[in-house]
Amino acid sequence: MNDAHYRFPPASAFPLNRCLYALKSDDAFRARFVADAKAAMAEHGLDAAAQSALLAGDRDALVARGAHPYLVFMADLRVRMARGTATFEYF
Amino acid sequence: MLVGAFACAHTPQLIARPETEDRALVLRVHAAFARVKRRLEALRPDAVAVVAGDHVEAFFLDAVPALAVYAGAAAAGTFGPYKYSFPVHEPLARAVVEQGIERGFDLLYTQGAPLDYAFFVPLHFTMPEPAVPILPLHVNVYLPPQPTPRRCHAWGQALGEILRGRPERVVLMASGGMSHYPGTDRYASPDFDWDRRVLDTLAEGRGAELAAVTGEELDKAGNVELRTWITVLGAVGAARADVYCYEPSWHHGNAVVEWPLS
Repeated sequence: MNDAHYRFPPASAFPLNRCLYALKSDDAFRARFVADAKAAMAEHGLDAAAQSALLAGDRDALVARGAHPYLVFMADLRVRMARGTATFEYF
Repeated sequence: MLVGAFACAHTPQLIARPETEDRALVLRVHAAFARVKRRLEALRPDAVAVVAGDHVEAFFLDAVPALAVYAGAAAAGTFGPYKYSFPVHEPLARAVVEQGIERGFDLLYTQGAPLDYAFFVPLHFTMPEPAVPILPLHVNVYLPPQPTPRRCHAWGQALGEILRGRPERVVLMASGGMSHYPGTDRYASPDFDWDRRVLDTLAEGRGAELAAVTGEELDKAGNVELRTWITVLGAVGAARADVYCYEPSWHHGNAVVEWPLS
């Protein structure tokens, strides 16, 4: 299943996935990220390459490092919602 | 007793519509949800048991259960501006955990995990009036290795037997699907043909065949979430599906289905 869309998350990517999970689900952390992304990423101990990929919103680079694609997707959406760069019709 | 069974799409664009989404399509799915709501009001359930695939919300990598039951007093969560809480039918939750374990399913239970939008979105649109308690039932769909379709189907069979033996009137609702690939480079290319073949199979009452689908095939077809449907299929047996709608958007096969039970 190496070509699967969703793969077993490597343990080496745990800090990155934990950071993406917090961006998706932790309102306070997301607010800290929007205010100072580098400081927020440091809370999760991301290395320079992971920080660079996350700052650039480089999905392929993040997934190549073991990030879960769904977490990448929803973390990005939630950050855009927080920044007000996307508009929504709420039902 | 089991009085009804449904499956509902839950894609967040149905509740928080960005400009990228076809408004008319979204409203057509809402109309199908409204039909479910009317059916629920006619079926008069005491509880709605929702089988949903957690979007790495209740369970992160600290602990990844294959199958879980929410057995707390109330289940609450947030999604964007939405903050929601639903009372949980505690006697039903406890019976499902206890009898599920007795039947050989090593269920995890939680009394406090956050409730994912996979549960919230269908309930937001279909909760009958007056509202009834819920029973959240988790299936791991996004964190490999997920439970096999065969295991989901077997769990659904056991779940159906447990619910039929209860005094409460219960509706089962699968939340999820159909084809979509969130976060991947196939996001804009769902496998609508695969979806339509599945819907034809369900309309003919042959849903048990989905127990033989492999996890690899579900991943390939963008249908990892169909495990929630396959669970409900275990409970409904050979009932024929009534497809309320199938609305393919640029990224998602949105389906709403009922299995009318005699």
